[in-house]
Amino acid sequence: MSAVAPALKTAAATAPRSGAQLLISTLEKLGVEVVFGYPGGAIMPVYDALAGSSLKHILVRHEQGAAFAADAYARSTGKVGVCMATSGPGATNLVTGIANAMMDSVPMVCITGNVATNLMGTDAFQEIDILGVTLPIVKHSWVVRDPAEVPAIVEEAFHIARSGRPGPVLIDLPKDVQFGLTAEDIGFHIPNETPGIDHTAIAEVEAMIRAARRPLIYVGGGAKIAGAVDAVRDFAARTGIPAVATLNGLGTLRTDAPGMLGMLGMHGTRAANDAVQSTDLLIVFGARFDDRATGKLAEFAPHAKVAHFDVDPAEIGKLRAAHVQVTGDMKADIETLAAKFSPGDLDIGDWAEDRATAARTHAFRYDAPGEGVYAPALLNELSRVAGDSFVAACDVGQHQMWVAQHCQFSEPRNHLTSGGLGAMGYGLPAGLGAKMARPDAHVVTVSGDGSFMMNIQELATLRRYGVALKIVLLDNASLGMVRQWQELFFDKNYSEIDLSDNPDFALVARAFGIEAFRVETRDEVSAGVARLLAAEGPCLMHVLIDPAENVWPLVPPGKNNAEMMHDTRFEGDM
Amino acid sequence: MSDTIHIQIDRADGSLQRLIGLVERRGFHIDGMSMADEGATRRIQLQVRGRDSGRCTEILSRQIDRMIGATRVSCPVSQFQAEAAA
Repeated sequence: MSAVAPALKTAAATAPRSGAQLLISTLEKLGVEVVFGYPGGAIMPVYDALAGSSLKHILVRHEQGAAFAADAYARSTGKVGVCMATSGPGATNLVTGIANAMMDSVPMVCITGNVATNLMGTDAFQEIDILGVTLPIVKHSWVVRDPAEVPAIVEEAFHIARSGRPGPVLIDLPKDVQFGLTAEDIGFHIPNETPGIDHTAIAEVEAMIRAARRPLIYVGGGAKIAGAVDAVRDFAARTGIPAVATLNGLGTLRTDAPGMLGMLGMHGTRAANDAVQSTDLLIVFGARFDDRATGKLAEFAPHAKVAHFDVDPAEIGKLRAAHVQVTGDMKADIETLAAKFSPGDLDIGDWAEDRATAARTHAFRYDAPGEGVYAPALLNELSRVAGDSFVAACDVGQHQMWVAQHCQFSEPRNHLTSGGLGAMGYGLPAGLGAKMARPDAHVVTVSGDGSFMMNIQELATLRRYGVALKIVLLDNASLGMVRQWQELFFDKNYSEIDLSDNPDFALVARAFGIEAFRVETRDEVSAGVARLLAAEGPCLMHVLIDPAENVWPLVPPGKNNAEMMHDTRFEGDM
Repeated sequence: MSDTIHIQIDRADGSLQRLIGLVERRGFHIDGMSMADEGATRRIQLQVRGRDSGRCTEILSRQIDRMIGATRVSCPVSQFQAEAAA
């Protein structure tokens, strides 16, 4: 792909303005409403220009919080998220958030200040080569050398961040470029890049579907990014083909949609994983055969041909060869494919019925023995009570998998989870970003006691801006997922997973000025969920759960998806 | 055995570093390299070799192709794709 061709830039003379002013006015022109950031020495001209602008700046308490909040703002809306930070430590604190957006293809523009260009390369105070540091984790990046280039680069950055396969981009602004005055305004015109529909490939896919006896839809996060949610739903409804979803594909088909078998992979459902192992045709919509989804790759979907739809040609054949590839505008491609089918066209009734039966037979159960809080049941109840506007912003660990397994999702943009990177600390700032973007939704951060402490400082941001985020903190006083693996795969050699000296989280939240209460037993759950969702401002529900609870089912590492371990309390049903 | 990839890339900040980083990160040795600047762009010829048998030059070429500012000029047909089509 080419960068901006010179012909796309046009210069016009205007009154002299600084690079910082041009940055702010360009963000305004692009319709940016919210920027998450943290000031510092090398970005002070930008913060000077920010005062009086229409942008709402959210002052977080750590730059990583800014990046995660911008990421979730983007994920929950499809808009581009914007974050900014100063040079050196401010910039490096963004890095985990940038990597997170890269792994999950999230459109994000990151703006960093830097030392003046004459000081770059001299080890100046708070100087870091952030362009170099972030090269592997950005879709593209720039060091701006001339204030006149600021508008064109910012507009190009937004275009690149959201077009094709989205991703994070970084604009590094040296301080002299922020201060520098220019009367030039170099405009950027978005190139027309609408790809055509590959009718030949789609006809091949149609023929494969008509010849298949056991077809299966495998949907990933790419479908929602392409705006193809309705197209996938229409295709599934017209064909009656059952479906499985990746972690980031959940909600593309509603959790309660007919034929939806749940998540596949390491913590997938029995029905989903068995379907994948039996299918003779995988119809892949925007998924990338991640190892957590496939298990042992050589034994994944062993009987299946593959029809792979993806906007990114580099994903085709990366891990699994495709018999037919369809790249380009996935929404138009799937709509074209769906239009070729009418209900009853396909003779797959027995296959679809067998899958539905398997889904009922192996449905998750919520009647775990004991009086303690059973987290899967709590999360299932939470999402049902909150209804279709339920948005989960997850942290990473056992609770993240429980959300994926047990919550009901009506839309894929309602499930915000650090899928590719698996970054603990995502949940709280992600909830902040999502609730700012969608104030009318029931946005709930679901966190664990390990993850929560990684960005706990953002409680202050919730309080400052009165963001009515709800928080479910599932506290097992340990690093639960690591503990589970040590129990199952490291001979119960529990190493450095004990967090039993955690602070009193409800007390901590109250110290930040946030309502908080504790749930300790199963009979307190329903009232707790109701209180949490009814709270007018931010609210934290601190839930004590059994440290010995595991995530089931589980495909052990290196095994194929048919070799699932189950919760023996339920006689292997789960 | 090395494969040769011809690339045209913008002479922007970090573009060479971006290209070489991508190739090495995706599991390839760079056995040889030549470069010539032509105005605002540069032409690069890379001899690459996968670190293990799972590395596919065709996929690497597509990954180079999607870099902003880089255009692959040519690359060999991959064994992997040929097997897939069979």
